[in-house]
Amino acid sequence: MSEQPQTDAEPLYIGWQGETAPGLARFVRERVIAVLLVALGLAAGIAATQAPFGASRFEFGVERSFEGQIELSPYPMLIVDRPGAENTGGAPTSRWLLTVFGKRGADSAVVHLAGHRVRLTGTLIDRDGVTMVELLPESLVDLGAAAVAGAAPAASTPATLQGEIVDSKCYLGVMKPGNLKVHRACATRCISGGVPPVLMVRRADGTARYVLLVDADGAAVNDRILHMVAEPVEITGALSRLGDLEVLRADPASYRRLGSWSPSPEAP
Amino acid sequence: MGHTYQAVQWNPQKKRYDQLVVGGVLLYLAVFMAVSAAVFPEATLETLLIRGLGTAALVLLHIILSIGPLARRDPRWLPLLYNRRHLGVTMATVAFLHGAFSTLQFHAFGDVNPIVSLFTSNTRVDSIAQFPFQPLGACALVIVVLMAATSHDFWLRNLSAPVWKALHMLVYVAYALILLHVALGSLQTESGTVTPAALGLGAVWLGALHLRAARAEGARDREEEVREAAAAEGWMDACGVDEIPEGRAKVVVAAGDRVAIFRSEGHLSALSSVCQHQNGPLGEGRVVDGLVVCPWHGFQYRPRCGTSPEPFDERVPTFRVRVEDGRVLLDPRPLPLGTETDPVPVSSAGSSPA
Ligand code: HEM
Ligand code: FES
Repeated sequence: MSEQPQTDAEPLYIGWQGETAPGLARFVRERVIAVLLVALGLAAGIAATQAPFGASRFEFGVERSFEGQIELSPYPMLIVDRPGAENTGGAPTSRWLLTVFGKRGADSAVVHLAGHRVRLTGTLIDRDGVTMVELLPESLVDLGAAAVAGAAPAASTPATLQGEIVDSKCYLGVMKPGNLKVHRACATRCISGGVPPVLMVRRADGTARYVLLVDADGAAVNDRILHMVAEPVEITGALSRLGDLEVLRADPASYRRLGSWSPSPEAP
Repeated sequence: MGHTYQAVQWNPQKKRYDQLVVGGVLLYLAVFMAVSAAVFPEATLETLLIRGLGTAALVLLHIILSIGPLARRDPRWLPLLYNRRHLGVTMATVAFLHGAFSTLQFHAFGDVNPIVSLFTSNTRVDSIAQFPFQPLGACALVIVVLMAATSHDFWLRNLSAPVWKALHMLVYVAYALILLHVALGSLQTESGTVTPAALGLGAVWLGALHLRAARAEGARDREEEVREAAAAEGWMDACGVDEIPEGRAKVVVAAGDRVAIFRSEGHLSALSSVCQHQNGPLGEGRVVDGLVVCPWHGFQYRPRCGTSPEPFDERVPTFRVRVEDGRVLLDPRPLPLGTETDPVPVSSAGSSPA
């Protein structure tokens, strides 16, 4: 005897008839409510168990005015004064990385202003004491060649560092998450577009250290490292200070992928 | 065959169905955003929107894929199947918003066309952990958007049923692509347990539902095949007359095809059990006002000739039946489309074929 669904007591539901038998309506209503509750439970459950989001900052929509000296190499930066820093023992100036709107570096916006003091309007991006400004190119005001030249790079020491190559713009604040697998494509696009690449190294205590990457001659490496972003790598090179930033010189061909994948979610 | 476009016909239930679907999606997004904002005040809106839309689309896809097998087991689910197309269009819209926001967020405003970037920015096809997961989502999106765009009956007729069917079977390919999209994407970095658990349970649930539906169907068919083999070429013993309740049908497999033998006002007529609309199980329908009504979307057929009443022009093959000693005998050879048959009275013991 073949088994066919037999519910003879209930008339067939005919969609175009516009009326439903009461028993059938109750069955459907109960099932719909159950499905809705499961879906909303999932929404809450998935939302509540996301990995922590980074404590980075992007003052989206807030434009401030800044003044400082443009430095082009290895990546466009604004050297800003830190009044009162001497009293606290800090450096008298700070180097802020520069970018423009989108997944772009600031090179073409400031290339004609190397060594000049400028005033500009932009939006602050910062994380763990490292600062970047997304500047509005049309707001740049040339205040003339600066009296003081940028600091010469200090002596370097050989170093081997393990970390993840991130694009400074997203990781320092524009996107959360701004690193690891889901962000890989975006980091590739940003670095390819000229955003300064940074090696993010996790210290034992969980805090992060950011090291600008340049090649053996101190030049930008962007287009040579696109296949290595957003995963664990080891880089051996010459580490030096550039004001309050760190720079690692190494031939990109010598970067080494670390085989084992250990996700290090963003520290809050 | 001139296929004129017929505007969607609205009725209060369809409207209620749509309000429910859209309201449900909005409620889902609201809960997702509110809980995220409460637990992670430092989270960014774009990421939450992308995640909320992506997971909402996947939840909808599970519902869509569940309704078919559920309705086969229990016809009381049919009211939800009737307008399943609207669920599909909603899912495709939500998935499209997720894909569009992701493409904007991760690929736009750079040095390469965003669509090109979507497929070229991650080149690690040599690694499972680093495998490009976004192109997988993009391929799934193309499938679901194509399905939604061709879901109106206008396209079913224009593309021809087999092409349309094949296109819509791709939903299972899309489902597999989306599983990989999430497993090789978010799951690689998210620490939560809810998403992977829900993904696994969802796959097991859908697999079990479909397997069970296929098994039930297979068992039914095998039983009928035995009977069919027993029948000498020509007429086969289909069932007892009293196995067919008034207004309903008995489905048998004849020469590999499903045939529905309907009883209407004490008379028997045999039609193909495969609805011409979307292959719905016609034999699980009823006779209403003298017409056979498909349980899926209510297409109607005249029992005696298998043609739809005007202005429709669907036709299913008819078959010859006769009744002998309380048994229903069926000639498994389909008659040419539109052939008139004389309904056979159930009490016509010993009568000869029409
Ligand atoms: C062009 C097409 C697509 C693109 C570019 C895309 C991109 C992305 C990205 C970047 C993520 C990671 C987001 C994050 O975790 O921050 C993601 C996650 C996800 N996507 Fe897609 N996707 C696309 C199509 C689809 C489709 C068609 C579906 C399903 C119908 C889908 C469902 C999901 C789901 C469920 C997640 C996981 C969300 C989570 O739990 O965080 N995606 N997608
Ligand atoms: S399959 Fe749609 S009405 Fe029969």
